[in-house]
Amino acid sequence: MDLRTKLWIAAAMCFLVVGAVVVAYSARPRALLVIATTTSTVDTGLLDYLKPYFDQKFHANMTWLYLGTGQAMAVAARGDADMLLVHDRVRENAFVASGNGTHRVTIMYNDFVIVGPSADPAGIAEATSTVDAFQKIAAAGASGNAAFVSRGDGSGTNAFELRTWSQAGISPKGKSWYFEGGSGMAPTLRTTNEKQAYTISDRGTWIKLQSTMGDTLNLQILYQGDNGLLNPYGLILLNETRYPNIQSQLANDFFLFMISDEGQSLIADYKVNDQQLFKPVFGKPETIGLPLETAEIEYWVAQLEANGMKPPSWVSANLGG
Amino acid sequence: MPLVEMVNVSKSYGTRAVVKHVGLKLEEGMILALMGPNGSGKTTLIKLAALLTRPSEGSIIFDGVNTECGDSKLRQLRRRMSVVFQRPALFDMSVEDNVSVGLSTRGNDEERIRTKVEDVLTRMELTDLRGRRARTLSGGEAQRVSVARALATEPELLLLDEPTASSDPRNASIIERSVVESNANKGTTVLIATHNPHQAKRLATETAFLFEGEIVERQSMGALFESPKDERTAAYVSGRMA
Amino acid sequence: MRGALSGWDVIISGVAKAVQLILSGDPTVLQITFLSIVVSGTATLLGALIGIPLGTVTSLKQFKGKSAVVQVVNTLTGLPPVVVGLVLYLVLSNSGPLGFLRLLYTPQAMMLAQLVMVMPITMSITISSVSAIDPDVREAAMSLGASPLDETLIMLNEARVGLLTSVVVGFGSAISEVGAIMMVGGNLLGYTRVLTGAIVLLTNQGEFAEAIALGIILLSLAFVVNILLTILRSKFAGTSSYTASILVSPAESRSA
Repeated sequence: MDLRTKLWIAAAMCFLVVGAVVVAYSARPRALLVIATTTSTVDTGLLDYLKPYFDQKFHANMTWLYLGTGQAMAVAARGDADMLLVHDRVRENAFVASGNGTHRVTIMYNDFVIVGPSADPAGIAEATSTVDAFQKIAAAGASGNAAFVSRGDGSGTNAFELRTWSQAGISPKGKSWYFEGGSGMAPTLRTTNEKQAYTISDRGTWIKLQSTMGDTLNLQILYQGDNGLLNPYGLILLNETRYPNIQSQLANDFFLFMISDEGQSLIADYKVNDQQLFKPVFGKPETIGLPLETAEIEYWVAQLEANGMKPPSWVSANLGG
Repeated sequence: MPLVEMVNVSKSYGTRAVVKHVGLKLEEGMILALMGPNGSGKTTLIKLAALLTRPSEGSIIFDGVNTECGDSKLRQLRRRMSVVFQRPALFDMSVEDNVSVGLSTRGNDEERIRTKVEDVLTRMELTDLRGRRARTLSGGEAQRVSVARALATEPELLLLDEPTASSDPRNASIIERSVVESNANKGTTVLIATHNPHQAKRLATETAFLFEGEIVERQSMGALFESPKDERTAAYVSGRMA
Repeated sequence: MRGALSGWDVIISGVAKAVQLILSGDPTVLQITFLSIVVSGTATLLGALIGIPLGTVTSLKQFKGKSAVVQVVNTLTGLPPVVVGLVLYLVLSNSGPLGFLRLLYTPQAMMLAQLVMVMPITMSITISSVSAIDPDVREAAMSLGASPLDETLIMLNEARVGLLTSVVVGFGSAISEVGAIMMVGGNLLGYTRVLTGAIVLLTNQGEFAEAIALGIILLSLAFVVNILLTILRSKFAGTSSYTASILVSPAESRSA
């Protein structure tokens, strides 16, 4: 029957196509590593930079979920990611304490900067501290001369921002001069640009956006350098017992890679517009005023050795090795 | 044994009785014309005979087989007959493909299908229309194809429901000729519902008059028109009834 | 001082760079486009393979609750994609019931999300098209003694333009979907990043040239879809106008 033949041909073609697709996608040549991370590591291009090195060394396919710190932790808590790279020590410690994560180290840092319009209506260039700067912004905002754009997304940057408001004795939520975007660092900066408002950003994303947007970015760094503005990043290994389905082996490899001499050097080498965006700090958290992580450091140095990798030069020096 | 026998057949749609207590015998090789005013139940009677609908009461026996049977048996019986409806109801394909549908569904091989289709297309003067998409034909041409489709399978029983009602004279005459030929050469039994007394006189070996779902009378050849026995028949044939 | 055209030069230079990217055969652009077509194409194909037979059976058979089924299917064509994304995410998540399948953040998850949205569309349009077939045609098929399979095939042939339309409309809605596939796909570079997700990400990061390039491609695909629909619409001219009117059904207007 002519129609029957047509039907068989159509059905055969459909099954062929579907079959081909299924086969193509089941055969994943490289193991996939999913990192739940914050937007700044992505927006700065750091992970893109590290990817080819990691992929090649471990024959893997490193990918990342572009989220804020809060979201990243929620995703990791559900076991939907293999690794966590975020920047909020308070919540990181809580994550480990809850047993969702087994190991945590500080691997790198950059700092926050407060940016705003070059006219600086709130006059924060003369601020004496971060808290003072925020108070000046609130005052200017109340009199209608300034605005502040918050990420409002539960990210590490957002958490830092909120803690600072709280220290300043101000509750900005709902005020007419306070805008919450609910989005990543780069979009927040661009919104700030559009509104010619103030915001707080990590230096890395700021530098990257400067290079992307060039002249169209009409903002300036108005306050920086305060020790309180230091922004450390933590790497957390997830509990493989609690999440048996994650790529724990590959996650372990990534951990080792990031803290090794090679990884830490790569982080230091990553530059945009000749500016270093992140400073490696594994094994020496005390140098930026953070508590010691001796137990973790010892554990991981041993792990590095067991895997034929070297710790960064300053760590070996410390341990006299 | 008659080819088709209806015993006390009634058909109602809801509370409306369309066919009432009809008893009908169709002998093999007969051409029975079914006449009656609009709404008298001619179409329903044709559909009952075509086994496309089951009677509400009574039974229909085809070639000795009671049609109160399962679907697959019913399908086998339907394959021995063909229906031409009032409206062509052609499939959305070429004329040639339309005509061959019946043969394909009966599992004939390519060669046989081609031969038979060729034969029918020639007989019905459709060869130059063979590749045309059925939907683009005129009403008369479409009806001709419909008849060709019905005849291609060489049915034992041919049922036609006012087949030439909307055809021009040329199409009508081709259709009538092919029905008569089929009956003469292949012994096809024919049941044809028609409004046209001339057509009935031309084609039929017997004529029956259907009024409000009942068969009022039945006579051979054109006797129904010359000497109707019932006054309702008389009113109809003389044009006093719609 | 900003001139009258200053706001436009971002767009203009973006378009210029975008055309360059496309013409130079940039591998990332190609990969993302290819992935989009594969994911949406497979979802549409599967949606048709399931939706068309189901729709045909629903249309041809009489059964209890038939009108309820048709209502439900028609309502499902308006399913908000983000809701589909949310539900699928919770189901496929490692801590969800189907977590062991490890489907989250894979292209298969995206195909699944799009399948859920395409299936009601193909089924709904199929039901409309098949129901609109002249009942005499079905009787003619029966009268020829066609087996149920042959009868169905004849009906499908009658409705073939409508069935094709359902596939085209389904594909159109799949390829332009953005919320659900980002939620279950994770927009992972080189792996689950398709045109729509990439455009969102690139726009957020200020990479306008690339975003525009992908936007041009997506527009072109949507354009092709619409041309196909127009061709199909003209073929409908030969059949009943009721069938043609289903092209204005809610399902189709959502695909744009």
